[in-house]
Amino acid sequence: MLLFVMYRNFAMWSQLLRFCLFSNFFLSGFVSAKDQVHHGQMPEAHFAVLEKYCLDCHDASTEKGGVNLEDLSFKMDHIASAELWQKVLNVTNSGEMPPEDKKQITDAEKTDFLADLSNQLVVARKALSDTGGVITMRRLNRREYENTIESLLGVKIKAEDLPDDSNSGGFDTTGSALFFSSDQFEQYLKIAERALDKAITFGPRPETIVKRIELETYAEPRIRKMADAHLKVFERAEAWRNSGGKLPTEFGFIDEDRIDFEVSQYERNYPTFLAYLNHPDSKTGMPLYNFFRGCTGPVVTLPSKHETGNYKIRARIAVLNDSVPEHRKYIEYGSITTGSKPGVINVEGFRKIRGTMEDPEVIELDYSPGDSGNFSFMIREKHINQAEATKRFFIQSLAKTNLGPPPSLWVDWVEWEGPFYEDWPSQAHKQLFVRKQKKQELADYHQRVIENFAKRAFRTKEPAPAFLEKLNKVYHDEINYGKKPIEALKKALSIILASPGFLYLNEPVFQKDHRKLSDRELAVRLSYFLWSGPPDAELLKSAKSGDLKNDSELQKQTARMLRDERADEFIAAFTHQWLHMERLDFFQFNYLKYPQFDESTKESARREVYETIKASILEGRPIRELLKSDHLVINNLLADYYGIEGVEGEAYRRVKVPPGLPRGGLPGMAAVMAMGSDGERSSPVERGAWILRSLLNDAPPPAPANVPQLSRLDGKQLSAREMQKAHQEEPQCAQCHRKIDPLGFGLENFDAVGLWRTAEVFQLSKAEQRKAKQSGKPTNLKIPIDASGTMPDGSEFSDFFELRDRIAERDEAFARGFVENLIEYALGRPFGFSDYDLADHLMEQARAKDYAMSEFIFGVVLSKRFKLK
Amino acid sequence: MKHSTRRSFLGSSSTILALPFLESLGFSRFSKAADLPVPAKRMVFLSVGWGVTRETWFPDKKQTGTDYDLPKGLAPLSKYKEDITVIQNLQHRFSNEAHWGSTFWLTGANRYGVPGQSFHNTVSADQVAAEHLGRETRFTSIQLNGKKAEGHGPGLSLAWNQQGKPVPGLDTPVELYHRLFSDETTPMEQRQAMLKQKRSVLDTVLEDARSVQKGLTSTDKDKLNEYFQSIREIEVRLAKEEEWLEVPKRLPQTPVKEPAAGLKGYEEIKMMYDLMIAAMQVDSSRVFTYRMPTDSLISSLGATISSHNMSHYTSGERQEVSEMRDQSHAKLLAHFIGKLKSSREADGSSLYDNTAVTFGSNINSIHHLNNCPTLLTGGGAGIRHGRHLVMDDPKTPLCNLWLSLLNGSGINVESHGDSTGKIDQLFA
Repeated sequence: MLLFVMYRNFAMWSQLLRFCLFSNFFLSGFVSAKDQVHHGQMPEAHFAVLEKYCLDCHDASTEKGGVNLEDLSFKMDHIASAELWQKVLNVTNSGEMPPEDKKQITDAEKTDFLADLSNQLVVARKALSDTGGVITMRRLNRREYENTIESLLGVKIKAEDLPDDSNSGGFDTTGSALFFSSDQFEQYLKIAERALDKAITFGPRPETIVKRIELETYAEPRIRKMADAHLKVFERAEAWRNSGGKLPTEFGFIDEDRIDFEVSQYERNYPTFLAYLNHPDSKTGMPLYNFFRGCTGPVVTLPSKHETGNYKIRARIAVLNDSVPEHRKYIEYGSITTGSKPGVINVEGFRKIRGTMEDPEVIELDYSPGDSGNFSFMIREKHINQAEATKRFFIQSLAKTNLGPPPSLWVDWVEWEGPFYEDWPSQAHKQLFVRKQKKQELADYHQRVIENFAKRAFRTKEPAPAFLEKLNKVYHDEINYGKKPIEALKKALSIILASPGFLYLNEPVFQKDHRKLSDRELAVRLSYFLWSGPPDAELLKSAKSGDLKNDSELQKQTARMLRDERADEFIAAFTHQWLHMERLDFFQFNYLKYPQFDESTKESARREVYETIKASILEGRPIRELLKSDHLVINNLLADYYGIEGVEGEAYRRVKVPPGLPRGGLPGMAAVMAMGSDGERSSPVERGAWILRSLLNDAPPPAPANVPQLSRLDGKQLSAREMQKAHQEEPQCAQCHRKIDPLGFGLENFDAVGLWRTAEVFQLSKAEQRKAKQSGKPTNLKIPIDASGTMPDGSEFSDFFELRDRIAERDEAFARGFVENLIEYALGRPFGFSDYDLADHLMEQARAKDYAMSEFIFGVVLSKRFKLK
Repeated sequence: MKHSTRRSFLGSSSTILALPFLESLGFSRFSKAADLPVPAKRMVFLSVGWGVTRETWFPDKKQTGTDYDLPKGLAPLSKYKEDITVIQNLQHRFSNEAHWGSTFWLTGANRYGVPGQSFHNTVSADQVAAEHLGRETRFTSIQLNGKKAEGHGPGLSLAWNQQGKPVPGLDTPVELYHRLFSDETTPMEQRQAMLKQKRSVLDTVLEDARSVQKGLTSTDKDKLNEYFQSIREIEVRLAKEEEWLEVPKRLPQTPVKEPAAGLKGYEEIKMMYDLMIAAMQVDSSRVFTYRMPTDSLISSLGATISSHNMSHYTSGERQEVSEMRDQSHAKLLAHFIGKLKSSREADGSSLYDNTAVTFGSNINSIHHLNNCPTLLTGGGAGIRHGRHLVMDDPKTPLCNLWLSLLNGSGINVESHGDSTGKIDQLFA
């Protein structure tokens, strides 16, 4: 504050001084070393722009509109100066300033001015909101909460009613952005009670049963019923038609419109139903037809009790004939709702079928109904998960063959076996109900159960006696109100799961600014970093014995934890947020244009990114291989999608890239390309910005507000190139797009779902189509792809492969971006200037190992900062 | 008459509640018949993510006053042209987030206003109103949301509490229905016991909170304060619940049925509007905010594109969808106004006469944050309707409008957010 006042005072001299000294140099005597290094700084050269175009009205004496730019510090080290610069940026972007009747800034000047200003403002905002290394106490985010409950109670819950915590702009581990609301508190109580109901399993182990359904007995009657219903209505309509003008009502129809409607329904559906019934293989099983109203397949209803158990679902399946293409050999399975809003399908997995009609195969699927309510298990052919799509494909096929799409798969029977329990009573139940002492009163015993659970829930921290007393009081009150002891116990336990000691990762410092974490706290921080969940017994043991103090033990534990499947949670959540993969779910993909990009494909593509990074970490590979590689980590579905032969099975594994195939590395992954689209078209702008942000660690400033849209482009079909030309027209756009767009062009060979193409095809507008038809020209426009361009530093590439080479050469920038994000995620606060040293240090350390990601993870864990509150 | 019973009940049960009672008495001197209860003031804030279609939503700036043409986007409101006001040239000076249509809409805060923090917000106008208007009702305020908050920016609803922290809302008409009208079948004694148990739950977690608090850094204490604050809010709510324990939830004269589960888009918004009306009819709350859904609205209108995609419209399909969205909102709003007008208050006036409704967004359209679309209706704040106002200053603080509406509704705060004064033209 003092500095600011001083600066304002002598600012009136600044114009004079500006010619003698650079203000930052002059000021350096007044500011601390830390401030000196990091703040937004407009290059002094731009004073010329202000002077030429702004100061006539906005100098210190005129101050039109109260705006004085003459005294505006070029150093954005205070909120006030940053605000004023923001204002300058806004009015220049919107074209409001300079006013129309005044001299206008030349395009070249404006472009450079805006580029520097918008970038420096990002730096300034970051500097001004820098926490100075403070790690704010973190509430368990939704994922961590779910995992922690699962670890404590052995119950998988979906805490969908809690806020999703991933929309704050940063990582969902950032303590300062994890708010708490009264509503949430009530949700925690509710979820805990639900989870406890499931976790506590008294009584005998439920019997495991096997039930098989022969599908000809299941499917045929259902379809025959529908077919008959259609036929009967049609016959009535025929009877009316032949009746010589009788009233429709006499035949059970409201009016003639209704008759027309029923007949059209009949004509649409009946032939396909009949085809099903006449299909020879419908006598012995169920050909998986897709009807107008949906893709059929067996639906299995499991007993509603014992939802926590696991089931095995088996089915005998075959591909119907030799002409079925590869991509139609997949079944998918999941749940289908049966409650008040039936028919909603949640796809959980898929299998490729290799069995033939001569030799069908039996597949076995593991299935855990889990926490959620009313649904059944379903199997069907892999398909776009939208009712609308099913209808459109049906109608398309109808136009050609008078029938719906032909089936490709056949299911003989389905059976389920279950429920299975790893333990009975469950492990969680046994942990909860510690051994009861002889002759111990039930209430006393329950008190011990409560104490024991509270300590576990608080990650081995002793709960305060006063807290335990109050829990005990709640327990007794409940009993006094007439509740059963077990219900009273659940009540008390649920309160523990809504208490701050459970919900917050608290690290008290007792009047110091920083202190070393205790071994227990370090174990907790480590497990929430690598598992998004609480420490296991082994880690706690290591903390308790004091071993965790040694870096070698810490490293050993880290390695162990990374190999544990719980680390998948870290890899998926971190990667998802680091690479901005939320964009994959922003848009619905146009199923008519991209029928292959269904739910299973999208999920496989998403997982390809996670699995590739997981393999890279576990194998300690150079980070460069994430940018360019001769290997892919894929499953059978993606192999079919990418056109790679010989990959069988759903497991992800390393596969060598066949020569010439444009895959290998993040650029070229289907998920990454789909993220850079809007579900309809590829977006070179999104892709270019993504490369800058996620690969080159050179994020463009946020999309500015109030920039006038280029209205002359309205409704025109433009190729990516033409779009770029338009972006270069206005300085407001050019300042960023000159850097962004060319990178995006290098990826134009990938369409909106990441498939390779050599030309972009545009549908002409309806009017143009009519014209084209008359003159016999094609109704769409094919523009060949030109994927050449330049990197921000001016180096050139002529196609995708060269672009990928240019990016891979910059693996150091990629590694730097990765480590900055990793530090932010691990420490739970925005990466700040105070972390530069750590990032520099880790970079140096990892250089010899080609920046292997695992090196960074170990480096962060072993760093001083990670062990400090 | 519900008001006299309500007041006598409250007057006898709590001294804190005496103040609004007296205020209301003061008002009643000006009413036509002194012994008729004076209808309560109400405020409603409706926000659309992603803004509007600027080309077809705003009236021509050259036609101001009463003589202006309703543009295409507002055409469905033509029946109520006399009852609405469109006001242009309002904006928040600190807004830079091109995709945040609601985060600062009712607050006007500066995201970067506090050093060392990358996000900061302040109290929203509705919560200021709720502090005054919410004292006499079962629910101090009601926050409603579309399930997904696309185009609205961070927040749990439009409302931000006194500490500038997000206030949660109800996501579906079914939840709202149950909150408003579900009657407790549990016997009174048991309900009292349950309240008592709820209190001892809070008491228990506070015990733990106090031990967690020991030795925390000041930043961490601030964080934990959110927890304390939430518990305090529940305590206040329980206190209110207790006061209302013996007052059965009233049902409106025209009965409302439990809405079907899974309403989406157009029907969902319409149902929320209907339930808000029903809530006003039984006076269970006087302050409402609604952060409306856009993805589900446009998909219920047959669009296949996402709302984000739509918001970046150029002429063609995306703009068509965007305009269709505007017109649907206008249609829904007309439906809302119609219902407000046809609901009678005890003194013969209508809900419309006593309610101040604002429809708008922090986003103008696309990435534009200037000239926030703003449409006012209802007589609650004393605005002279039927006009198109264009403020002389193209950067008139939107908070001046919030201040005007608050003052007009009898809430005598001196400023709100970055307000510089009231907008006198509204009342002239």
